[in-house]
Amino acid sequence: MTGPDPVGRDTHMCESKELLVSYLYNEIDPVSKREFQTHLATCVECREELAELGATRAQIATWTPPDADLGFRIIRETESPKRRWFEFSPAWGLAAAAVLLLAIGAAVANLDVRYGSDGLVVRTGWNRVADVAQQSSVAGATPVDWKTRADQLDRRLRELEQTVSSRGASVVQNASMSEERVREIVGQSETRQERAVASRLTELMREVDAQRRLDLVTIDQGLTRLQNSSSMTKDLVQRLAVRTASYDAK
Amino acid sequence: MGGDLDSFNQLVLRWERPIYALAYRVIGREEDARDVAQETFLRAFRALKGFKGQAKFSSWLYRITLNLCRDWIRRERRTPVVQAPEGIDVIELAGEDTPSETVEQLVSRHEIGRAVAKAMSQLPDEQRTAIILKEYHGLTFQEIADLLDCPLSTVKTRLYQGLTVLRKQLREAGVESTFGK
Repeated sequence: MTGPDPVGRDTHMCESKELLVSYLYNEIDPVSKREFQTHLATCVECREELAELGATRAQIATWTPPDADLGFRIIRETESPKRRWFEFSPAWGLAAAAVLLLAIGAAVANLDVRYGSDGLVVRTGWNRVADVAQQSSVAGATPVDWKTRADQLDRRLRELEQTVSSRGASVVQNASMSEERVREIVGQSETRQERAVASRLTELMREVDAQRRLDLVTIDQGLTRLQNSSSMTKDLVQRLAVRTASYDAK
Repeated sequence: MGGDLDSFNQLVLRWERPIYALAYRVIGREEDARDVAQETFLRAFRALKGFKGQAKFSSWLYRITLNLCRDWIRRERRTPVVQAPEGIDVIELAGEDTPSETVEQLVSRHEIGRAVAKAMSQLPDEQRTAIILKEYHGLTFQEIADLLDCPLSTVKTRLYQGLTVLRKQLREAGVESTFGK
């Protein structure tokens, strides 16, 4: 039950906090506002509550967030290229490619393709090495005329020895001839050097003598200028002395 | 599309401070509030095509921000904490506000602000959010109701209850109720 209390207040108004809040924030229709203002005129409690809530609002307003360096800005992402389903890291990729090429090269270089009773046979380098070794061991079992081969080798060795001994004598002879020739060349060179030194000395003496004469002439000219200058100075001093004497006489 | 980006960045410039302030007051941590504000604009830009203008752009941003704040609180599983500065630099305070205030008034105002922050952090989330949206962002009851998906009457009740609790706590903290009169 709500309605006017013994002092004439509308207790319904006192209980309606929504009305109080609407009036506090001034979001209230004009009719309700007038009614509430009428109520406030007679209700001290609502008036005090309204005042205290108003003061609380003023206190709330003092809370400010700290200054922050914002400056947000949306920028467009650059699209990253799609990754392929396979990707080598550069080092691994290069190493793997190099090994693969090397293996293919080795195999192709020693490739052996034969068609025989066994059908088509393809052998790579490694198989061939093994085959060659096997063939060698098989060949070692066949009979050979070792005596004939030894005689042939012996004859060949003698021929080579004769050739080498005849060429050795020739080299020694040439060596003795070269020694005399060297001595002769050295002697000629020494003579040429002695002549060149003597010629250079003579030339140097001439240059020194010419310079000495030139210096003497320069010194002589300097001395002459100095004497002339000295005689001029002496002349000026004499003329100055005469003038001074004439002033003194006056 | 480049034009869209420039236009959107104009909106970012206009709204970054209110959004940061909202996030800070809801979660109470400066760095996290910054992150929330940044994420708000990023999400808004990505969802820009879906924004049909049925609500105000600011309300749309507020909704994104509040959702992110709610996620943050849930993730962190803790009540908002207000980082209060240890000391008050009187000289710094004197230089930052209206010259009509004395230094004593400035110090008093900042002390009250700290008390308010502490009292706000102790409010239930729904009351605190309603008061923040109303007091600091000037939203109408209806806008708050739309944002929080609750009836208009609930918004008013939350506001009343929140203000009443704050009044009591501030009085207990020794803050004069005559402030601002």
